[in-house]
Amino acid sequence: MNAAFPCGFPTATSLYLVLLVVTMLLHLVFMHYVLAGVAYVAVGRLFGRRLAAACGWQAILVDWLPFATGLAITAGVAPLLFIQILYRQEFYTANLLLSHRWMAILPALLACFYLLYLQKSLQKSLQKSSWIGRRAWVWRIVVAWIALAGFLFIAASWVENHLLMLDRAAWLPLAAGDGPGFAPAGLLPRLAAWFTLAFVSLAIELVWQGRLLGERFDQPSGMAQAVFGLSPLRRLAVTALSGLGLTALFVAWYATTLAPAARAAVAGPLAGSWLWLAVGGAMVQAAVWIRAAITDRLTDRVAWLATAAWLAMLAGLLVCREAVRLSAVDLEPLLARHEESAGIGGLPVFVVCALLVTATIIWCVASVRRGLYRERLTVR
Amino acid sequence: MPPFTPYPVVDLGPLMKGLVIGGLGIVHVFIAQFAIGGGMLLAYLQWLGMKGRCPNARQFIDGYFQVLVLVSFVVGAVTGVAMWFTSIQISPQTIGLMVEEFHWVWATEWTFFCLEVVSGYLFYRYGSGLDDRLRLRLLVLYSFAAWMSLFWINGILSWQLTPGRWLETRQVWDGFFNAGFWPSLAFRTVTSIATASLAACVLVNAVPSFTREERAGLIAVCARPLIFMLAMPLLGMWYFGVMPADSRRWATGGSVPMTMFLMMAVGSSLLVGLYATVAILRQRLFINGATATLLLTLAFVATAGGEFVREGVRKPFTVRQVLYSNAIAPEAVAELRRTGSAAVDPYPLRNAGQYPTPQLRLAAKVFRIQCSVCHTLDGMNAVPELAATWSIEQRRLNIAQLQRTKPFMPPFAGSAEEVEAIVQLIGWVVAGRPADWPESTDPEVIATIARWLDEAGTGPGEEEAREEGVAATAGRSSR
Repeated sequence: MNAAFPCGFPTATSLYLVLLVVTMLLHLVFMHYVLAGVAYVAVGRLFGRRLAAACGWQAILVDWLPFATGLAITAGVAPLLFIQILYRQEFYTANLLLSHRWMAILPALLACFYLLYLQKSLQKSLQKSSWIGRRAWVWRIVVAWIALAGFLFIAASWVENHLLMLDRAAWLPLAAGDGPGFAPAGLLPRLAAWFTLAFVSLAIELVWQGRLLGERFDQPSGMAQAVFGLSPLRRLAVTALSGLGLTALFVAWYATTLAPAARAAVAGPLAGSWLWLAVGGAMVQAAVWIRAAITDRLTDRVAWLATAAWLAMLAGLLVCREAVRLSAVDLEPLLARHEESAGIGGLPVFVVCALLVTATIIWCVASVRRGLYRERLTVR
Repeated sequence: MPPFTPYPVVDLGPLMKGLVIGGLGIVHVFIAQFAIGGGMLLAYLQWLGMKGRCPNARQFIDGYFQVLVLVSFVVGAVTGVAMWFTSIQISPQTIGLMVEEFHWVWATEWTFFCLEVVSGYLFYRYGSGLDDRLRLRLLVLYSFAAWMSLFWINGILSWQLTPGRWLETRQVWDGFFNAGFWPSLAFRTVTSIATASLAACVLVNAVPSFTREERAGLIAVCARPLIFMLAMPLLGMWYFGVMPADSRRWATGGSVPMTMFLMMAVGSSLLVGLYATVAILRQRLFINGATATLLLTLAFVATAGGEFVREGVRKPFTVRQVLYSNAIAPEAVAELRRTGSAAVDPYPLRNAGQYPTPQLRLAAKVFRIQCSVCHTLDGMNAVPELAATWSIEQRRLNIAQLQRTKPFMPPFAGSAEEVEAIVQLIGWVVAGRPADWPESTDPEVIATIARWLDEAGTGPGEEEAREEGVAATAGRSSR
């Protein structure tokens, strides 16, 4: 671990590590949208229906959260696969030791998924003058908060699982059922860091979503209404800047709970440069959002810059996360198995299919956009 | 791969672990089949609609797709993940082996899963505002992606029963295109089409705005793909033909529950197929919502029976010739006989205090490693219930020579002392778990058990029995 990630490992291990980080990054893009989006809507609901109606972001989120959840689950399958190749014993043992509590994330996920659809349908029913329409506001608050509680439970379970993977000393006492259970010091700061980081992602994602949906916040439209005296863009800037600040705070807190070896791995040759990339990405984003908050404008070029900085920050953080894990797991006995797994056959088929499917997905999205544009022209 | 990797063992109380994963699997498979066949049916309807041969196609497709999204995209996706997590809970060694050998195939399947979700959701969200050609393209892409995910996963599942040449070469494609691959793929494709057609018949009746004539017209169209069910007996026989002989025997009388479940699957499919071909397709009878629901329920029963048989006939293996049902590799049995299975398990026993003697505590550990994947102590398929009427000698012999007692059981993978401990555990539970229980350490008993273990060998029972049969026949011929 004396070279920068992913170098310094045998080729097969490096390949799996890169695939884990890349697919996890893809999962994060959607997962952050869901986690922060659900929280954004739940908090927004508390400020009354007039405010909610004025906030275009809430409408977009309620409309798109179910799909984003589907994408988050789908994108989550790949990192789940590669983690089993890289750290099988640790991952399985943590799953098994947490057992029923861990498995509870599945019904919770199912319930939350349907609650998001229910939230979407309540959005529509509000416009009706029916019994349910008159009471829909209360239900919207209840549904939003239950969904948020469910997603936070799922997030906390994942953090718990991750920390248990790294804590071999806790395995035997936990298996014996002795003591109060698994309550690591890193649970709260790590969960809080991921949660607040999700708002940073949400802000940049909403910028692009608003543009793709044709909702420009620098033009007078439903989207452009001010809430609490803040324009839509300024609200995103506040969201992103709060997220960045709080994440920095919680990451620092989490760092104090790490073992010295883990801290050394993050700051050392393995992940040091990635840590700086993450810090640099965060600073560029902060600068972009401060400027946007002051000028109430975000040009496409600056939005692209913020997006690149955001992705660099996420990639950097994910590598630091892997460095912490690599410092706790003895990879040495697994390296030969990684080599064997990589050479088992099937990699070229995966690469070809991944490229073809990516191209097809791009074609699908582009065709639908073109198709909708044509339809609109025909209607006009 | 190391012969046996110990993991903590999850206790599901009175629930049998095999039934938990089986139950979940059945729900997941049925929903997945609905999604795969649904895409094909909707693409067909869209094409008919474009040709002017199905006037209500567009309205029905949009409604059907909403159900597809609400059921398959939500429950299907979550149960898919649940299958994975539950597999880890039940048998981490098995899922670990499957992931190790087929992770690139799984990763490839994931790419198609992504395409399925994106094309499906684009259609769900924007389909009504798109022109017919693009709608058809999206539906075809969705169906193709959904079917490809079946294509990939089918290779892994069928490999578990018929690994074939992979056992020698350990090459992924030898395992993937195994003997069961094509018949299983063809059978599952037809099942998916039939499931989607029947679900369509239910949904047509659920749309209040359709008149009876419109419903009759749509049902006639949606039921057309049911004609493929005529191929099911042939495909089923093909699949049966490539099964290992012992697995075939379980399903055809060797194991009564297995045979019953097979009959349930065949009978339900037959009823659906007969009704579909004679009443719906030939006589063009109208089917109302209740009848359609009944037919769909029968299809679910058929799927449940079929999946139960598919899982069951692998016994005593979970991956044929590679891992026994309790996730112990055949080559590890001899070593575990020597060292004892509890010796390789570092995890302490939960509630160890409830067992009055060290021998019973040893037995509890042996039980959770070797038996708990299919048996419980107090609940479903409880060993004390199965062995309650056996004499103590019978218990010793039957457990020592487990693969001979029941050929779908794996060989006992532990020491003679562990056999005796299990025998004592059974006696203790049958006796109502008394606070005092004597230890059984008679060296003569242990020596007898050791002899029985040696006699039974470390291979699967069926193989031993066949080899002995061949030897006996050869002996008779030479005489």
